[in-house]
Amino acid sequence: MRRAITIAVAVSLTFGHSAPALAYLKFGVPIRGQQVTVKWAQTPVRYFVSDSGVPGVSAVDFQNAVGRAFATWQAVPTASITYQLAGVTSAQPGSDDGSSVLGFRSRPDLDRVLASTSFLVDSSTGALIESDIFFNSAFPWSTAAAGETGRYDLESIALHEIGHFSGLGHSALGETELVSTGGRRVLSAEAVMFPIAFAAGSIAARTLKADDIAGISDLYPDGDFTTDGSLSGRVTRDGQPLFGAHVVAFDPATGTMVGSFTLNAQGQFSIGGLSPGPHVVRVEPLDDADVDSFFDTSQTVDLDFRVAFFNRAVAVPKGGDSGEIALQVVRK
Amino acid sequence: MIRAALSTLGILCALVGCSSTAFAQSEPPASRLELGVGVRWIGTEQLGAKPATETTGSGGTSQLFSTTSELAGAAGIEGRVGVRLSRSLMVEAEGAYVKPELRIAVSADAEGAAPVTATETIQQFTIGGDLVWYLPVHRWSPRLAPFAIGGAGYMRQLHDPGTLVDTGGFYHVGGGVSTLLTSGGRWHTKGAGLRADVQAFIRSNGVAFDDGAKTSLAAGASFFVRF
Repeated sequence: MRRAITIAVAVSLTFGHSAPALAYLKFGVPIRGQQVTVKWAQTPVRYFVSDSGVPGVSAVDFQNAVGRAFATWQAVPTASITYQLAGVTSAQPGSDDGSSVLGFRSRPDLDRVLASTSFLVDSSTGALIESDIFFNSAFPWSTAAAGETGRYDLESIALHEIGHFSGLGHSALGETELVSTGGRRVLSAEAVMFPIAFAAGSIAARTLKADDIAGISDLYPDGDFTTDGSLSGRVTRDGQPLFGAHVVAFDPATGTMVGSFTLNAQGQFSIGGLSPGPHVVRVEPLDDADVDSFFDTSQTVDLDFRVAFFNRAVAVPKGGDSGEIALQVVRK
Repeated sequence: MIRAALSTLGILCALVGCSSTAFAQSEPPASRLELGVGVRWIGTEQLGAKPATETTGSGGTSQLFSTTSELAGAAGIEGRVGVRLSRSLMVEAEGAYVKPELRIAVSADAEGAAPVTATETIQQFTIGGDLVWYLPVHRWSPRLAPFAIGGAGYMRQLHDPGTLVDTGGFYHVGGGVSTLLTSGGRWHTKGAGLRADVQAFIRSNGVAFDDGAKTSLAAGASFFVRF
């Protein structure tokens, strides 16, 4: 008998892997004492869209914007995942009916949540059964090609949520500042999967970045992805391993960055999806967004260290790993 | 334009033909084979600058940090085998091994990380062929022979710790002098001497962060024996 559990993105997902995941945070569920990556077992992944719109976005506009966002993920040449529109439905997202539904719901109580993704997972295999995305109609939305002042771009937010829908967690490749009214304002980001959206009116997050592409390719590898390499190592402070440090590999040839985290008690990390060649490695504390956007609250993420670069250029081989490097950081 | 190119080709062919004729008609060179070993220095190659940027809400970019890269100058060893075609022309096969350091200077971090130069040692192997032309400006000194040299070859660069290989091509052009220290000798040798050269070394592909050719100064000094 197949037993299913429902998991909501922001609260109950666990990211602790017994071994570092290659690039990115991937959702995991504990099965027989081991963390198993949550992903779709079969493609195309079928989804329904809601038949209702909101002011400024008709049901057809909604369907088209969501379709463009799915197409963007599907176009990644190194990932195999595909999606298929199954139809229009009057069902609401969030009901565990075995169908993946995307639609609007009014949640004025969630005054900082633009959208959210929930999952139904086969707890015996880790395979996704259903994933729903709701867009909070308490916010103003737009599907205008050039964006619309004061309204959130639905395609950009859908692109982020479809990353979750596919099994990706958050990326920490972004910079923010605290605002006086509470919360954070994004100054810049180099991943669609950064947990905080650009301000209303922006359409800058309609394009996947190297970090997003590495993440989806790692979950659903295809084609040339096997020729990409990886970079791995450990982060320590005063000789002790650090958990939750954000490590970024920068490729001076392409100018792209891919990030990951130290994800186990040994402070180990691994960054996949890298082009072969020398890379610069940077490590920073996870201080540009709330820690619980990345890790569950049972895990202690150490933020007391200075941003630093590794003093060696690290050669990433074609289809292989760099070999473990040792990054040492100091307290702030 | 085509005619000009053809006439240039014609002049080149004529020059080679003359040399060949001279070799055929003059006395055979006193020595045919030359073996040399020595040191080779290849100067610093600038590999350019590349910032790490993030996208802003307006679609612009914001710099996270900047990088400037170079393949530092390094000295290594070289060996060569030359065969005299005539008194003034020699063809050579040459190989060299140097260990330059890749240096990526990282600075201007938006979150205040200390600047650092990330380094990596590269093992660079080259093999190639050269044409050496001993200039007919007879002579500055009885034992000193100036020459022009040009050649091309294959380059293989092995990253530390030996798991990544870059390959490319190179060509070089320059000049130098050689001098005979002894004439005749043991074991069938017909002389020994020293040679020094300075060249422009141009490579394509290999360790690079863009598609452009990289040019640097190169110099070598070697001991040779003629047979």
